[in-house]
Amino acid sequence: MKHPARIVALAVALVVVVLGVVLALNVGNDPEQDAKQSHLVGKAAPAFDLPNLSGGRVTLADVAGKATIVNFWNSWCIPCEQEAPALQQFYAAHKDDSDFAMIGIVRDDATGDVRTYVKDNDVGWTIALDPQNQAALDFATRGQPETYAISPGGTVAAAKYGPMSSGELETFLAAARASE
Amino acid sequence: MIRRWGPWIALGVVVVIALAVVLWPHGDQSSAARAQDLETQLKCPECQGLSVADSQAPTSRAIRSDIKRRIAAGQSDEQIRQAYIDKYGDSILLAPEDSGVSLLVWILPVVVLALGATGIVFALRRNRDEPHLRATDADERLVEREHRVEDTVDG
Amino acid sequence: MKAALGYAAVAFGAGASVVGITALLAGLQLRDAFLLRFGRRCVFGVMLAALAAAGVMEWALLTHDFSLRYVAENNATGTPLLYTITGLWAALEGSILLWAVILGGYLTFVVLKFRKRAADPLVVIATVTGLVVALFFFALMLGPANPFRELATVPVDGRGPNPLLQNHVLMAFHPPILYLGYVGFTVPFMFGIAALVTGRFGEGWLADTRRATLVAWGFLTIGIILGAWWSYEVLGWGGFWAWDPVENASLLPWLTATAFIHSVIVQERRGMLRVWNLSLVIATFCLTILGTFLTRSGVIDSVHAFTQSDIGPWLLAFLGVVAATGIGLVAWRGDLLRAPGRIDSAVSRESAFLANNLLFAALAFVVLLGTVFPLIAEALRGSRLSVGEPYFDRMATPIGLALLFLMAAAPALPWRATSGDVVRHRLLVPAWIGGLTMLAAVILGARGLAEILAYGLGAFATAGIVRQFVLGIRGRRRALGESRAVALGRATRSNPRLYGGLVVHFGVVLIAVVLAASSAYGANRDVKLRKGQSTTVSGYTLTYLGSHTERSDQKTTISADVKVRRGGSVLGTYAPAISTYPNSTEGIGTPSVRTGVVEDVYLTLVSAPASQQVITLGVRINPMIVWLWIGGGFMALGTILALSPRLRRRSRPLRAADAAPEPEPEPHDPEPRAEVSV
Repeated sequence: MKHPARIVALAVALVVVVLGVVLALNVGNDPEQDAKQSHLVGKAAPAFDLPNLSGGRVTLADVAGKATIVNFWNSWCIPCEQEAPALQQFYAAHKDDSDFAMIGIVRDDATGDVRTYVKDNDVGWTIALDPQNQAALDFATRGQPETYAISPGGTVAAAKYGPMSSGELETFLAAARASE
Repeated sequence: MIRRWGPWIALGVVVVIALAVVLWPHGDQSSAARAQDLETQLKCPECQGLSVADSQAPTSRAIRSDIKRRIAAGQSDEQIRQAYIDKYGDSILLAPEDSGVSLLVWILPVVVLALGATGIVFALRRNRDEPHLRATDADERLVEREHRVEDTVDG
Repeated sequence: MKAALGYAAVAFGAGASVVGITALLAGLQLRDAFLLRFGRRCVFGVMLAALAAAGVMEWALLTHDFSLRYVAENNATGTPLLYTITGLWAALEGSILLWAVILGGYLTFVVLKFRKRAADPLVVIATVTGLVVALFFFALMLGPANPFRELATVPVDGRGPNPLLQNHVLMAFHPPILYLGYVGFTVPFMFGIAALVTGRFGEGWLADTRRATLVAWGFLTIGIILGAWWSYEVLGWGGFWAWDPVENASLLPWLTATAFIHSVIVQERRGMLRVWNLSLVIATFCLTILGTFLTRSGVIDSVHAFTQSDIGPWLLAFLGVVAATGIGLVAWRGDLLRAPGRIDSAVSRESAFLANNLLFAALAFVVLLGTVFPLIAEALRGSRLSVGEPYFDRMATPIGLALLFLMAAAPALPWRATSGDVVRHRLLVPAWIGGLTMLAAVILGARGLAEILAYGLGAFATAGIVRQFVLGIRGRRRALGESRAVALGRATRSNPRLYGGLVVHFGVVLIAVVLAASSAYGANRDVKLRKGQSTTVSGYTLTYLGSHTERSDQKTTISADVKVRRGGSVLGTYAPAISTYPNSTEGIGTPSVRTGVVEDVYLTLVSAPASQQVITLGVRINPMIVWLWIGGGFMALGTILALSPRLRRRSRPLRAADAAPEPEPEPHDPEPRAEVSV
C-alpha cells in the first residue's frame, strides 16, 4: 500500500493547484467592482414621496415622462463639494429642456444647514429631504454622492457612486433619454 | 464500578443540567434581538467587510432603522433578508446562504475534518493490530524514578 | 543620487545571493572549505545590502526627498518625525524592503550560530534555501516593487502617509513585530527543506531550529495581538477582530505554526509525526507568502490592502514553486519518513497531539476557505458573495472549543499508554471545577451554549495548569525542602518549556473567555446630544460638555469632551475625535476608551455637524476587553519563559527522605535526553 504521505501529498497538491488557478485568474481584478455596480440599472426606479424645502412634496410621479437625474448628497460630505461645480454647470446647460428634470435628495443632514447651503450656493434644481433614509435605501445607495439616471418611462438607466464630472453627467442624460 | 465512575456520572449530571437550561427552547426572540441578529448578518454597503451592526457609516445607520421599521411592520427575517438581496445583490449577506455554490463553503470543512478523523482512526487501528513490545507499568515507574532522582540531585 | 544608491544596494543584495548560492553548492559538492566560507560571507553581504538599502530609504524619508516616488506618496513635509521613520514600511515597496532586512538578519543569525558546522550538508542546504528566498525578495525590489523609482517631475510636497497610518504610535511596532514573526518562519522552513534534501529527517533539524521557531511564533503572536489592539483603539469601529482578509492572512501561518510547535514535541520524544511536522513547517512558510500575496495583489477586498501593483503574479509564481517543491520533496521521501515508533493507544499524549494537529489544520482550512471563497464563487457563478463574521464564528467556534478541551485534558495524558484509572484520577478535580463553573455561569444568567462551554473548558484548563504547578512545587519541597517560592522559581527554571507552555496556555484561556463574553454581552447605541445634555447607557451617564478644534500641519481634529459617570462618581472626561487630513476626503475617527476591569466604555464621534452644538455620539459597552491584552501578555511571558535556558545542573547532597520509595510517578514533561543544546 502506498504510504499515506503520498496520498495526502496528492490531495494537498490538488487543493493548492485549484487555489492557485483561482487566485491567478483574479489577479488584477478590482475586488470592489461587483459591489460598486448598482443592481437597479435596468429595473424600474423606486417610487419616492419626500418633502421639499418649501413645504410641498416631491414624488417620482412628478417627473414621469422626463429624463431625470437624481443626485443623493448632503451639505457636509467632501466629495459632494467636489462635484458641486459640475452639477451647477450641467443644470444650467439643460434647465430649459422640456424633457429634463433634476432632483437632489438630501439625507443625514439638518434642514437648516441644507437651506443655508441651497441659498448660499444658488442651487436651482429641486431639493428633496430624506431624513428617514427611506429613498436612500430604496435606491440601494452606498453612500454619497450617488447619482442615478432615470428614463422618461421610469427605468434606471445608469448609476454611479462617487463624484460626477460634467462629461459623466452628459453621458447619464443621454442614457436616460435613450432608454425606455 | 460506582467508585470508579461515580464522581464522573455526578459531573455528567451537573453538565447536562447546565446544558439543558441553556438549550431549553424559550419563546420567540424579542424584536430587539431579531434586529440585532439581522444587523450582524448584513454587510455595510459602503464599508469593507464590516457588518451593519458594527459600522457607523450613514448607510449602516439607515439600514438599522429600516430593519426596525420592517420588523415593526411584521416582515419575517427571511423577507427582510430577501429585500436587501434584491436591492444590493447576494454580497450583502455576510454569511453565504446554504444553497447552490454557497453550500460548498459550509460543507467542505466538515468533509475535510471527517476525512482527517477517519484517516487517523484507521491509522490507530492499524497500529493496534500489530504486535509490539510493551513496557509494563512497573518498568515505567522504575524509569521515572531514575529520571526524577537524577533531576532532583542535579536540581 | 539616492535612488541610484538604493537600487545599487538592492542589486548588490541580489548578486550576493546568487554568488552565495553558487559558492555554497559548489563548496558542498567539491568539499572546498574556502568556497563554503565565501558562501557564508555572501550571507553577510546580503544583510549589509538590505541594511544599506533601508538606510538610504530612511535618509530619503528624513530629508523629504520627493524625487523618489515612494517618498512622494508616503511622506510630506508636515509629517511628524515618527511617521516619517515608520514610512519605511507604510506601503508596499517599503514593506518588501523591511522583509529583506529582517530576512537578512535571520540568515546572518543562522550562519553565525552554525559556523562550527559549516561543512554539514544540512546547514549548507538550509543556507542555500534561505538565500533563494532572499534572492526572490531582492528580485521583487529590482522589478515590480522597486522602492527607488524616481519621478520625472519632483512635486513640491508629498502626499503624506495614509491617514490611518499616522494617527497612532503603534504604527512603529505592529508591522516590524509582525514581520519578525512571518520572516522568522523561514528558518525552520530552510532546515525542513534541507532535511528532506539531505535525507537527515531525524530530529536534528528540529533541535537546531527549536528556539528560532519559538521566537518567530512569539513575535507573530504579539504582532497579531497588537493588530487587534490597533483595530480596537485606533480604527474605532468598536471591535478587535473583523475576519478581514488581511487579519486572516496573519492568522493562517499562526495556526499551522502553533500546530507545529506542539507536534515537534512528539517527534522529539518518539520520532513520530515526521510527515506532519515537515508538512506543517512548509505550509507555514507558504502561508506567509500567501498572506503577502493576498494583501498586495488587490485580489481581495480589505481594509488593509496595500495599493495595487504588479507584484501579484510574481508572488503567486513563487508560492507555486515553493509549494510544488515542498509537496514534491515530501512525496519523494514518503516511505523513508516512516517513524520507528507507533501510537500505542488512543488515550495517550501522542494521539492528543495528533488530534491537535488535525484540529488546527481544519481551522486553518476554514479560515483559508472563507477568505478565498468570494473568489471561488465568482469563478463558479460569475458574481461575488461575501464571507464574513457569521461564517467564521459559526465554523471556528466548535473547533476552538475542541482545542480548548484538548488543552485541558492532554497534559494529564501520559505518553504511550495508560490505564483509564490514571487519567480519570488526574482529570477528576479539574473537570469538576469546569463543570461547576458551567453551572455557576448558567445560574448567573449566561445563556449561550458556546459561551458556557468556553467558561467551563477554560476553568477546566486553568485547574489543570494550576495542578501542574502545584505538583511541580510539591515534588521539589518533598525532595529538597525548599520553600514554596524558591521551589516555584527552581521548578519553572528546571523545565522552562513545560512551565512556559502552561503560562501561554493560561493566556489562551483568558482570550477564549473574552471571546465568549464579548459575543454575548455588550451594548451599542448612537445618541444625539446637545451641548450639556446627558444620556444613560448600561448604568453609565454620559454628558456632552462641548467640543473644540485643533489645526496642525498634519491634520485638523474636532474632538468632543464627554464626561463619564457611574453611580455618582465621575470616571473621567473622554474625548473622541474626528480628524481630517489635507490630502484625503474622509474623516478618520479616533475613539476614546475608558478601560475597566469588567468592561470598557467605548466612545466615538459619529458626526459633528459644523454647528457643533449637536453631536452624534457612538457609545459601546464592551465586556472584558482588557483581559484580551492581559492574556496576550501572558502568552508573551510564557514564550519568554519557554525560551529561557534550563537551570544549570549543580550537584547537591541528597536529603535522607530521598531514600524512601517515591509515590506515584508524575509524567511531567522532562527534556529529552538527547537534546542538542540550543
